[in-house]
Amino acid sequence: MSPDPRGFLRIAGTTEAADEPVEVIEAFPGEWLAPWLRARRKIEGAGYGAPLEAAFRKAAPACARIVGPEPAIDMADYLSAVTIKAGRQSGEDLCRVAPAVAERLGDGPRFRSWMSLMQRFAALAPESVRPVLDRSEALLARLKLSGLEAWLLGGIRLAGADREKRLAFFRMESADAERLLDREAGETGFFDVERRMRAYATALYGIRAPVREAPPDRHDGAKRRASFGDGMIRMPPSFPGFLGDEALELYRAALAHIGAHMRFSGPRFPVGKLKPLQIAVVSLIEDARVETLAIREMPGLARLWLPFHIAQASGAMTAQSLFARLSRALLDPDFEDIDGWVRKGRDMFHAAQDRLDDPGISRAIGNLLGNDLGQMRVQFNAKTYAPQPPYRDDNSGLWAPDDDAPPPEDAEATVVESVRIRQSDADDPDRERQTNDPTPRTGRARSVETPDTGVPVASYPEYDYQVGCERPDWTTVVEHAPRLGDPRFAAEVLDRRADLAKRIAALVSAARVGRPVRIRRQADGETLDLDACIDAHAALRAGEMPDARVYQIMARRTRDLAVAVLLDISQSTADVVSGGISVLELERDAVIMLSQAMDGLGDPFSIAAFSSNGREEVRYHRIKDFGEPAGARVGAALAGLQAGYSTRLGAALRHAGTDLARQPSFRRLILLITDGEPSDIDCPDPQYLVEDARRAVQALSATGIDVFCVGLGTRNTEQEVRIFGSRGFVQVTNISVLAEKLPALYLRLTR
Amino acid sequence: MDLDQYRIDAEPYYHAIGREVAQFSAAYAARLPVMLKGPTGCGKTRFIEHMAWKLGRPLVTVSCHEDMTASDLVGRYLLDPSGTVWSDGPLTLAVRHGAICYLDEIVEARQDTTVVIHALTDDRRVLPLEKKGELVKAHPDFQLVISYNPGYQSVLKDLKESTKQRFCALNFGYPDPSVETEIVAAEARIDSPVAHQLVQIAKRSRNLRGQGLNEGASTRMLIHAGALLREGVPLSEACELALILPITDDPELRDALAHAVAACA
Repeated sequence: MSPDPRGFLRIAGTTEAADEPVEVIEAFPGEWLAPWLRARRKIEGAGYGAPLEAAFRKAAPACARIVGPEPAIDMADYLSAVTIKAGRQSGEDLCRVAPAVAERLGDGPRFRSWMSLMQRFAALAPESVRPVLDRSEALLARLKLSGLEAWLLGGIRLAGADREKRLAFFRMESADAERLLDREAGETGFFDVERRMRAYATALYGIRAPVREAPPDRHDGAKRRASFGDGMIRMPPSFPGFLGDEALELYRAALAHIGAHMRFSGPRFPVGKLKPLQIAVVSLIEDARVETLAIREMPGLARLWLPFHIAQASGAMTAQSLFARLSRALLDPDFEDIDGWVRKGRDMFHAAQDRLDDPGISRAIGNLLGNDLGQMRVQFNAKTYAPQPPYRDDNSGLWAPDDDAPPPEDAEATVVESVRIRQSDADDPDRERQTNDPTPRTGRARSVETPDTGVPVASYPEYDYQVGCERPDWTTVVEHAPRLGDPRFAAEVLDRRADLAKRIAALVSAARVGRPVRIRRQADGETLDLDACIDAHAALRAGEMPDARVYQIMARRTRDLAVAVLLDISQSTADVVSGGISVLELERDAVIMLSQAMDGLGDPFSIAAFSSNGREEVRYHRIKDFGEPAGARVGAALAGLQAGYSTRLGAALRHAGTDLARQPSFRRLILLITDGEPSDIDCPDPQYLVEDARRAVQALSATGIDVFCVGLGTRNTEQEVRIFGSRGFVQVTNISVLAEKLPALYLRLTR
Repeated sequence: MDLDQYRIDAEPYYHAIGREVAQFSAAYAARLPVMLKGPTGCGKTRFIEHMAWKLGRPLVTVSCHEDMTASDLVGRYLLDPSGTVWSDGPLTLAVRHGAICYLDEIVEARQDTTVVIHALTDDRRVLPLEKKGELVKAHPDFQLVISYNPGYQSVLKDLKESTKQRFCALNFGYPDPSVETEIVAAEARIDSPVAHQLVQIAKRSRNLRGQGLNEGASTRMLIHAGALLREGVPLSEACELALILPITDDPELRDALAHAVAACA
């Protein structure tokens, strides 16, 4: 026993310290005691109330014992900050979970980082501190601190300024929360590997059916299974308990299995008078039948499937266990089971080896086995039953549904899902079909596409400079068919600005190149270059080594440039500048003049306008596509533009870049005309979209696409220079001359 | 100059997939120009070598590329110590001396280059050498054959209508699995079951055509994989080397293909 330290303190005369319990003094030994007392006094003096003070007095020493006294003392400051922002309850919760967090993190610096993170979080999303603290142990079990930070900031970005949405996210009530958590935790969700899995299924069976992630929360975790039907394969967002490569193998096994069904299972079985037990047994035999056929063609599939069959020959006589054992017995030649029912099933299946092409044998064997089970009085609960092993689908695709059954709840969700096309699908031939025809099997699906809602066509990542990473599929681009305005608009502008049009035409004809050029003294060519021949001959006569470059060629120097013109039509372009004309009207005039110039030069170009209404709705109006002539329709589409919403620049640039990347030109340019900095309703941090746009410009430049920005107005241009670089940006301060400036600028830029 | 160096002495291996040998022989008898269509590596070049051997004609092959000019086909003036001297190009050589001239991947050549064959491919059968001022009458044995891969078709690279319409066309595809197995086994000198496995793998990769791959694994690639197997490389490695890495740089497709290979073996 060590002597009671209080005795010493009494002698030393620090009476206040003497009142502390032993364990506190042990937690803050020697010189740490005085700072601890100061911290305690600070909390008590702030008037947060007795429960919080008590919670702190309990938590801090507990933490000190794990991570050392200094961070525990600093906790007072963090606690104070959290309490001020998020309230006393949050402060108490912080104290409550702190020791467990300290235990998990294990050292002072990380514990301190966690507290600092909570302090920042309390400032950004005070209402969500309690739900996050409640889950802190579970979160930290899956995430590292950096992952937790990314997840917290991700949630805040996702919900923007909407408190309710934030709360739902951090209470894990939204699917995004789970998905983001999977991603930060490094767990493999199907979402991340969808493309390769789809390629795998296509490679094995030539299946072109879309593979989609099933809507979350459709099944409880233990019952999660893949399913197929209606020309679509649905995969669960993740299989709980399977991580990394194991999860990938499971997805592959599931797709290989469903592919085998699509290949070898005939038309759906009628349900008729079959009981759920019989349906389950028939499905099991059918699973084994198609797998056996697939293995005959691709023997390697046995290696893929067998490791998931882990049933043992002994075990409870429940339906679930017997089914798992029969599944294994039918597939695994080395598996011996003593159970009579399992053996009977295996023997019947083996006896039918020569007739496996006939789906009827599944029904025949399944019915017999099902009857046997019934007589054995084995319990079967259809509600909790899930086919084993987990790679097998839920069998719903094998059976014809009853006609009067209600449509599945997720019908609408799936339809929305099927029109949502990822960036990676850009070259997918299915694309057109999917965007134009969102496979409306149910009447309700029509609601997805009303005239003004537009069609979601692609999603793009967005860069978060605070975390330093791109969040995949963060923004959704919604394309709107242009609203057509006055069809004579273009002609009127050209009339009104006839002088300018004439000057531009002259500039264009001067800039137009493409005359054949004679290139002399070439090593290889169509005809001899006479001058070079004479020189060479003279050299030969003189006994010297002649220059071998005696040919000439005729070559055309052609412009090889494709331009995507991108117009910002956010709300600010409705502002009226001198002369009572709005920025948007000036932009439109200028684009008409510009398209005149580009058309004259024969450069392929497209025109699009964009605005945004949060990350889920980056509105994109295609005014002119590359192949389309610059006719009256283009003028009408320009005339129909209306200013509104915000400027989510990065997503618009990425979308324009995807289109432009398909142009076969040597040089590709996005010409952006904007009157303001990027901003959006769900982004309170002004720097965030600037950094994302900068990232988008860099990414485009890496793929050989240049971005040039024409900034309108007399603002500070620091942000533009940050995004586009000083050479990728020009400011037009006097907006009223834009129509003259723009074509001239274009010619200079593309010379 | 005679064309002995262009003669094919030993019979090139060719396994017919249809009636193409008889069809080509008939076209040659009528001296009709022939276009061979089909994906890369399915045996077009081997077929024409086989036919040249069978018909006993020399074969002049020109691989076309986008910088190729008409001079590269018909010939040009060269300098020598005494002055300029004309040198026949490969096409002129074949026309004068009666060879089969095979223009491989003709779409690669610029369109202004391909028009030099027009006068050769109708009933005139002449080749005008503009720069030399000579009109070469085709030797009675001369025949023009071109190959054309429809998979590469794009707006930029397509034959002119006026060029296309001068040719008879033979369509080539990958052979049936049993025939392809036989071909791979014979060419790579491997056992038939191993060749069958390779053909099964090729089928998976061809399933991805248009789904990220421009072309699936060709018969030629299978023969390469077979040759690696013969040299003792394990199947998965041989497939990676010969069938997967060459056709795609997309890591996700590579992954899918590698696992498809594993499923077949």
